[in-house]
Amino acid sequence: MKLFRLTIRHLVLAFLVLFWLIPIIWLVATSFSADTGPNIRSFFPTELSLNNYRTLLFGMDDVARFPSWFRNTFIIATFTCIISSLFVLMVAYAMSCMRFKARKGLITFASTLSLFPGFLAMIAVYFIMKSIGLTNSNIGLILVYSGSSGLGYLIAKGFFDTVPSSMREAAYIEGASEFKVFVKIVLPLSKPIIVYTVIAAFLMPWMDFIFANIMLNSGLSENKTVAIGLYAMVDKVRINSYFGQFCAGGVLVSIPISILFIIMQKFYVEGITGGSVKG
Amino acid sequence: MQSQQTTPNHGKKHAIVRVGQALISFFAQFFRDLRDGDLWVRLSLVVFGAGYFRRGQIVKGILVTALQAFVFIFYPIALWPYVSKFGTLGTVKRAAVFNPVTLKNEVNDFDHSFMILLFGLVGILVIAAVVLFWIKNIHAVRGLQITDENNRKILQEMEKLEQLARQNGADAQELHRKMQVLKANTKRINRFSDDICNLFNRKFHITLLTLPSLGVMLFTILPLLVMICVAFTNYDQTHMVPTNLFTWVGLNNFKTLFTQSQTITFGYSFGRVLSWTLIWAFFATFTNFIFGILLAMFINNRKTHWKRMWRTLFIITIAVPQFVSLLLVRNFFANTGIVNTIFASVGITDFLKQIGLLSQSYAYIPFLTDPVWAKVMIILINMWIGIPYMMLIATGILMNIPSDILESARIDGANAFQSFRKITMPYILFVTAPYLVTSITANINNFNVIYLLTNDVFVTKDQLLANSNAQEVDLLVTWLYRLTQNYYNYKMASVIGIVIFIISAVFTVLAFRILIRGDREERFQ
Repeated sequence: MKLFRLTIRHLVLAFLVLFWLIPIIWLVATSFSADTGPNIRSFFPTELSLNNYRTLLFGMDDVARFPSWFRNTFIIATFTCIISSLFVLMVAYAMSCMRFKARKGLITFASTLSLFPGFLAMIAVYFIMKSIGLTNSNIGLILVYSGSSGLGYLIAKGFFDTVPSSMREAAYIEGASEFKVFVKIVLPLSKPIIVYTVIAAFLMPWMDFIFANIMLNSGLSENKTVAIGLYAMVDKVRINSYFGQFCAGGVLVSIPISILFIIMQKFYVEGITGGSVKG
Repeated sequence: MQSQQTTPNHGKKHAIVRVGQALISFFAQFFRDLRDGDLWVRLSLVVFGAGYFRRGQIVKGILVTALQAFVFIFYPIALWPYVSKFGTLGTVKRAAVFNPVTLKNEVNDFDHSFMILLFGLVGILVIAAVVLFWIKNIHAVRGLQITDENNRKILQEMEKLEQLARQNGADAQELHRKMQVLKANTKRINRFSDDICNLFNRKFHITLLTLPSLGVMLFTILPLLVMICVAFTNYDQTHMVPTNLFTWVGLNNFKTLFTQSQTITFGYSFGRVLSWTLIWAFFATFTNFIFGILLAMFINNRKTHWKRMWRTLFIITIAVPQFVSLLLVRNFFANTGIVNTIFASVGITDFLKQIGLLSQSYAYIPFLTDPVWAKVMIILINMWIGIPYMMLIATGILMNIPSDILESARIDGANAFQSFRKITMPYILFVTAPYLVTSITANINNFNVIYLLTNDVFVTKDQLLANSNAQEVDLLVTWLYRLTQNYYNYKMASVIGIVIFIISAVFTVLAFRILIRGDREERFQ
């Protein structure tokens, strides 16, 4: 009886997992299809081939320029990652470990700002970027992604709050400056949250669709990021000739992103629960 | 109960009064500083660095004066032309004018309304910043004067003491002690190197926050202010820059949003879209919340083997970028898609027709093209994405539940359901309450799911909605997005943006007030 219930339990889980993974399995299956459009007759393709991958990587045309998209996104992600990680950690330290007059006000102000829908501002940012000629460029997107990244400091602050203040106080007594305490004491103790911040910042340009869609409007395929490029492939007009390539591209970006995401989620959970318990 | 409700109101009133008082004392301080300040302090009104030069802070004086010179030279050239036209947003329309010198038609020196709005706003903000800096600067310089005079006075006293001591031949030790006391009262006037050191020590927050704040100002605050201004203009498809001008229209757009007439259907659409947004936010948040926690508990149960593996398998779904997974699911459920093929071949489509869930006229199931089907599907697909996420968070929380509480409940004879109801659930609610509030507002603004699933696929048949470019499945945000990206109706988009902000803000404030009132922190500590 006990064994029976145990089996049922795991069967239910296995069924749920299968249900959750069906679309992903379909993605992988379709990417290996010999057909270029969406396969609508059977779940698994009737004929297997690597053609979708081959055309995606080597047979570039006006629509599909996966290697340039990948390069663009990689460049944007690297710089965004550096700038916004620095911003987030700096703001989090100031808000968590230091006491100054404007602190409370700034925290309230930041949380009020986050209640505005993000791309309302993006419309005006587009015009600002256009007036200095940075739309349709990697630099423009780097600025857009990292510019106001300081607002996303809350999870890191939650973690810094858990670093015992006695350690910092001991350092102050020995004459360490605030800068030294930040770099030599708090940062080394915060490896999990640094990993989380860095990966989250790196993933942002890979996952984002809306901001890039506003900033990249030239229609030139080689300027695009992966998200925008792949989106154009499932357009009503193009879907029948590009859906296979879309799936192949989806698989290719999803593999590295999934690995990073799975590493990151552990720290995400730590950050968010640690932060909210402290309040 | 009543006292609880009135206290926060009292706090509010006090806050307004406090702001007023702070403003009054701020300006009173300014005039006091000027009245009591010496010539150099008053000279700082004109040459910002004057006071610093007098007190020996040469580098600071130079920097402040240079900044002043830069603003004073740069401002009239670069910003004033825009600020001066801010009231009208431009009057000269773009046109081709015949130039008798080159004998060609050339574009005239036209006004660009959006640039006037943008840089006019920048100009106004710069003026405000300069005035604030000007007043603060006077206070700082006056502070330096006080310190300096105080130091001088003490020095004089010390000299007097020394003279007296020499005349009277007093005890050397006594003299030394007195001198020490006096010396302790002097305040050191910082040298420039001290100021720099401070930026890495006591004032390190300034170093840390300057660049991030600048970024937020340029990429969030300024653009938001611009868009808030646009809500009060007539910037739309018929007033597109640079060929046309737009101008201020007051509250007209807000009126339009609540108007329902033959030509304007915004009132109707707004009601429909708003109610769906709220329904969506409620269902999207709570379905994920409840099922996510159940799934986490199911996996975390002592009897479940291979916990990590199960978790990782679920996480794979959310690790795939949303634009990939959602665009894929959209084709998965397309009218001629694979699900419809399979459902038709195993007879589900016919079965749905028989029980009346599907109209006879359809040859397929309109998963994402019929308003009702689409709304249900959107919520279900959102569960597909959201439940693993919530499962992750809930797992972290479940592991943090103090195990001794659960243990003692078990010893006291509580069964699994009781300990879930009395301990686990309240604990989870307590820890995730702030997360729940933020995720409701996040869902009000949840763009990805609905846009990626329905854009290009869903077409509304409701003429009233179509007239104002809305659809049954639209949230306020996706409506806003379509208004700007497809129809260039910036004025109405901005109005909707402001409405979204008001809804989110009111909701957040109310929710947190209720949460704070029901403060049960001690129960778990």
